[in-house]
Amino acid sequence: MRYFLRRIGFFLATLWAAVTLNFIIPRLQPGDPAEIMYKKLAGKDAELDPAKIQALRVMLGDPAGASIWDQYWNYFGALGRGEFGVSYTYFPYDVTAVIGKALPWTVILVGITLILSFLIGTVLGAFAAWRRNSRFDSVVTLGSTFIGTLPAFWLALLILFLLGYVLGWFPTSGGYDSSMPGWNLDFIADAAYHSFLPAAVLMIVGPIGWILGMRNTMIMNLGEDYVRLARAKGVPDRQIALRYAARNALLPSVTGLALALGSLLGGQILIEQVFDYPGVGRLMGQAISNKDYPLLQALLLFTIVGVLLANLIADMIYGILDPRARKASS
Amino acid sequence: MAALLEVKNLTVRYEPRLHRPLDAVRDVSFTIEEGGFVGLIGESGSGKSTLGDALLRLTTRPGRIAAGEILFDGHDLTAMTEDELRPYRWRDIATVFQSSMNALNPVVRVEDQFRDAIELHSPLRGGAVRERVRELFDMVMIEHRFIRAYPHELSGGMRQRVNLALALANHPRFVLLDEPTTGLDVVVQRSILDAVRTLQRQQGFSVLFISHDMGTVLELSDRILVMYAGKIVEEHTSADLLRRPLHPYSKGLMGSYGDPRAETVRLTYVPGRPPDLALELTGCPFAPRCPEAIGVCVESAPELLPLGDARVACHVAHAASEPGAVQPPRRFAGPEFVKTAEETREARDHDVLLQLENVSRHYRVRSNLRFITTAAVESASFELRRGAVTALVGQSGSGKSTLAKLITGVEGPTSGAITFHSDGGPLDVGSMRARQLRQYRRQVQMVFQDPYSSLNPTKTLRYILSRPLRNYHGLRGDALSRSIEQLLEKVALTPVSRYLNRYPHELSGGQRQRVVIARALAADPKLIVADEPISSLDVSIRAEILELLHGLVADDGVTILYITHDLLSARMIADQIVVLKDGRVVETGDALDVIQHPQDDYTRLLLDAIPNPFETAAATPPARAVTPAPAG
Repeated sequence: MRYFLRRIGFFLATLWAAVTLNFIIPRLQPGDPAEIMYKKLAGKDAELDPAKIQALRVMLGDPAGASIWDQYWNYFGALGRGEFGVSYTYFPYDVTAVIGKALPWTVILVGITLILSFLIGTVLGAFAAWRRNSRFDSVVTLGSTFIGTLPAFWLALLILFLLGYVLGWFPTSGGYDSSMPGWNLDFIADAAYHSFLPAAVLMIVGPIGWILGMRNTMIMNLGEDYVRLARAKGVPDRQIALRYAARNALLPSVTGLALALGSLLGGQILIEQVFDYPGVGRLMGQAISNKDYPLLQALLLFTIVGVLLANLIADMIYGILDPRARKASS
Repeated sequence: MAALLEVKNLTVRYEPRLHRPLDAVRDVSFTIEEGGFVGLIGESGSGKSTLGDALLRLTTRPGRIAAGEILFDGHDLTAMTEDELRPYRWRDIATVFQSSMNALNPVVRVEDQFRDAIELHSPLRGGAVRERVRELFDMVMIEHRFIRAYPHELSGGMRQRVNLALALANHPRFVLLDEPTTGLDVVVQRSILDAVRTLQRQQGFSVLFISHDMGTVLELSDRILVMYAGKIVEEHTSADLLRRPLHPYSKGLMGSYGDPRAETVRLTYVPGRPPDLALELTGCPFAPRCPEAIGVCVESAPELLPLGDARVACHVAHAASEPGAVQPPRRFAGPEFVKTAEETREARDHDVLLQLENVSRHYRVRSNLRFITTAAVESASFELRRGAVTALVGQSGSGKSTLAKLITGVEGPTSGAITFHSDGGPLDVGSMRARQLRQYRRQVQMVFQDPYSSLNPTKTLRYILSRPLRNYHGLRGDALSRSIEQLLEKVALTPVSRYLNRYPHELSGGQRQRVVIARALAADPKLIVADEPISSLDVSIRAEILELLHGLVADDGVTILYITHDLLSARMIADQIVVLKDGRVVETGDALDVIQHPQDDYTRLLLDAIPNPFETAAATPPARAVTPAPAG
């Protein structure tokens, strides 16, 4: 129990530090951040419009004249109410609404492919390790090493070109077209049809890391004394593979999965850009090219919270799976 | 008694993809009778563990059983499929592996690991299993609350007891013990071996006990197999093996085990290294290292043939059994390490080189938010005399290493004084600053335990030895080369030209330790602090390093602080022994005195933990029923 409380304590402390840094960094720039931002947006020689600068200040949580502590409080208050200001790109929508619209697309696409990749990769890796040096192992290991060297976006372009343009089997961009968004069968079928290509790319690249990671750890575990002892005990092969070798080899993979889920909120920038998929990754790409600071800051904060939460979950799961972890830090 | 296990002409071959194939076990035959306790000894690489794995049918690729039979109760294990074999596993044949952390699955509770083993092979279920586990825990004297524990919550000794209990879960008829206590503290080791012997007598299972620790094997086993280069070279009752070994290699092994209570210490060692099994062997594999070798030894390999109630594979031993033949020496006729009580008496009058007065070292350890002070060393006082060897003996955690750090000036004492009497007058080690420390360390050098990790594997010996010579003496060019050669000569790595450009991995463990010592000598030290310098070496060559250290003391007047957990090896080389317990010095005295008349209870405990086959041998009648396997 102490282990879990400690982990939660660490999580809260890191979260506070991250949020505070997000507040401090714009204020560490020399000069008035609002003025600098204004000049960047409106051009170096533009006249300073006090009203606009004030608007920027408000966006930064910095109404003129407020002390740094008041600003800090206001900033936290705004965070608590989910106010991140107005997006430049999607004016006059505010940032929360913009992200809220993109998030489900990413969570569903990346989330499902990630979990499927993990399951497939882990099973393949474990099987390859168990049948080490067999033909199956060689094909899987060499195959994943080869595909692993190809950049994902290049693979995406290739697939888009072949299946989208040349064969015309799948739509080449967007998340849906003919149907109205909502929880109806038409729309879900339409969205699934549109997500097929990005999902395919993610499913090709996704399992590789899990395959290689699982295979290597499991081979190491198969050489451990407790596996030899299990053999000497006469434990059936299936059980040796699952309860002894795979059970222990799974530990690092599970941590990896939790961390990967954390970066999920950041989306898949390149893949989403290539397929023009309406998720968080594409949004982040747009925010960068449009210098949409409020949107960027909010996305950054989202990603940070996601990664931290994932870390917390990873620690929790590890604590449950590996009794040694609980002891070591208590 | 009937043979329970009969091994016939067993050969285990390794066929790695990138190397030449080799036979790690070659044409081995022996039997173990019902209830027999058989020891298997030999240096590392002799094939002991490979043989053990083969008996359990755990040989994994690239190794395989290439020929021969393993008959268990008349059934050939080598011919069975895994499914046919399963009923035998753990019901009839169980094992205790080397005492590493990992024989128990780290993520499964101990109870469930017993449950596995019991439910697979017996009709017991549920509560009956729990009852059986309790019984087993009682048997090895572990409290029941640890039944639900995870393996990491047990100490090393407890884990090994649990492993022993696990092996006995289904009343096996044969238990293989593969170095079951190596790496454990001597006292813990003793308690586990006592448990093994008691349980074996009570329950009557047969044992094959594999170990490189001569003393324990001799003391526990009825009969011993000596293995060399993949072959069994001698089979003999323990008592007779100790009294009159037949094979010269056995003589070498027996000679490397000294009697701590004798006035004069005599240890033999077997120079050289075992043959490369990947190469074609002609003649006796031991011939190149054998002081008794005769012409026929290099021409034809001797077979393991009965001789009296023993079996031995040696031309010389068999020739000597002919009527009227010249008798070979009883002891190993090779090099010897001798230390007389006279030397110790002389050393008593030497000047003091280093003096510790009420030295303490405390550490502040953070535990959550509080600081706790622990005393690693508490008011230790003793002296090191010039040209004498002082042994610092204690179990792990007794403060040995901390004292080594204090003496070498790596850390300063919390209180007390360490005085080094150099040629230029007394120096206070605790208060030295960087420049003085550099000067001081030149006079005090360390030799570490593991010669494998204390040498840079990517550098030649020439480079390794040139570094301290440049650093401490500023030698360059010809003078440097000459000094390197002198160092190699001093540690007997000759001819020098053959070693200069070698890398550490090309040397044997003993040769590597010689290099480590040569490197320490490069600074021309007054004091050498040797931290367990022989514990990672094979028994057959340990005396070789003791002899080298002893020579440095006798010829060059170097002072040695010998740090060890092993009272026996301390006795062999030291003039003076300092016994350390929980950071305190509990006993100091002349080595022989401490062994013969221990004053402190703790010293007595350590002393009792040393296996004493000499006593056992004296108590048992010389001849005992042996069942030699049918030859060929």
